[in-house]
Amino acid sequence: MKIHLERTGGFTGIPLTGTLDTDQLSPEDSQSLRELVESSGFFSLEAKIPSSGGGADRFTYLLTIEAGERSHTVEIGETGVPGALQALIQRVTLLVRQRRIAPEP
Amino acid sequence: MVFRPSSVFCILPPYMLERIAERGSDAQRSRATQTIQLTSQMRAEREAAGRVAAAPTAGPLVKQRVVYTADFTSTLPGRVVRQEGGAPTGDPASDEAYDGAGATYDLYWDVYQRSSVDGNGLRLDSTVHYQRGYDNAFWNGQQMVYGDGDEDLPPDQRLFNRFTIAIDVIGHELTHGVTQYTGNLNYSYQSGALNESFSDVFGSLVKQRGLGQTATDADWIIGQGLFTANVNGVGIRSMKAPGTAYDDPVLGKDPQPAHMKDYVNTINDNGGVHINSGIPNHAFYLTAYEVGGYAWEKAGRIWIVTLRDKIRASSNFQNAADLTYATAGELYGVNSLEQQAVSKGWAGVGITVGQATPDQNGCLPGLLKLLGIR
Repeated sequence: MKIHLERTGGFTGIPLTGTLDTDQLSPEDSQSLRELVESSGFFSLEAKIPSSGGGADRFTYLLTIEAGERSHTVEIGETGVPGALQALIQRVTLLVRQRRIAPEP
Repeated sequence: MVFRPSSVFCILPPYMLERIAERGSDAQRSRATQTIQLTSQMRAEREAAGRVAAAPTAGPLVKQRVVYTADFTSTLPGRVVRQEGGAPTGDPASDEAYDGAGATYDLYWDVYQRSSVDGNGLRLDSTVHYQRGYDNAFWNGQQMVYGDGDEDLPPDQRLFNRFTIAIDVIGHELTHGVTQYTGNLNYSYQSGALNESFSDVFGSLVKQRGLGQTATDADWIIGQGLFTANVNGVGIRSMKAPGTAYDDPVLGKDPQPAHMKDYVNTINDNGGVHINSGIPNHAFYLTAYEVGGYAWEKAGRIWIVTLRDKIRASSNFQNAADLTYATAGELYGVNSLEQQAVSKGWAGVGITVGQATPDQNGCLPGLLKLLGIR
């Protein structure tokens, strides 16, 4: 399974982008991602879920998941993230942030 | 000629637009339908802002601050850690949020005689320690919220420090509240970039006033201290030299333009609101530099009076240029040095004030344009 995250917006306007391949992750991370994708009902989500309410400097998430024959992309405003998806987005964001700086060889 | 729905908004009652939408030509129908959608959206936004204004937190015209902690969750506002007049907590994020909200309140009150974000003493609520590893600060329509950056990563992987570390970030977020209660600029494309720019302008002025810096002395960097030592950059944005704040192998290069010729067309970030804000940011810097002295005194006054009295939800860069120019004339005299400075400021980013004449923006020409008569 491949998960591609593109987070835009926020105060800095600096995007956070990364792709996670469960084949390259530790068994624990890989397993927890699969469970979160399942429990979030990701493949049944609307393609676009806008933010609700006003405010400024919020994030927008563009999340694409490829699993076997299935592939789905969802664009979600930060305040529109459904409860069931919150944990998956936080998990993916953390794993991508941990990989921004390549570890010293 | 660019069609501006707002130019007819002022005189056309909704039923007339609806009639045009039903019976006009194709082009008239589509424009009338757009206008109906836009005006109903604007009305809904005004009503939403009104509801916030009526909240019980509005009070006497004094500084009222409350700082909460989300305890690293997403719960807002969270648990109270410090209230107005309370002793420092010893937690840097909490105390910076408190002090920064205070310094921002003081700029608006002492210099512009505006009490709080709504002009009516609205309590200033701030929440710190929002989520874990949250590289952001935001205004949610009612309060300010701050993350701790990359506190959850090992030091050698951290790119961001806590977002309260830079006082201009606090002034920036609080000013989103001011904008919500005044010009209420739509948060997309040019109006959104103006919304962002007003926040950077007054965020920077809070910092400059605290440091007692003139326009010449100030560095005009937004978010100095937000990056850790792992990043090659002095801050998030530069009003003095947009596009030069950072250039880093991981984060890339500061994408801000300083001139209309480099305007970035993108659908990301609500149409590049944090990118193209570089243009009006630089126009403000050039104006303040030209005026000289403390930027918050004259240039800041021109900008806040314009935001309060003239800016509309759909205003674009050209409108902002024309309106700040008009305000400068009203405050300091037609053809005064201050008004000339505004003109020079916008010229420096490729915008000539007065290109949209009052006649073209008036109600009747707007109606004629809508009907395709001229």
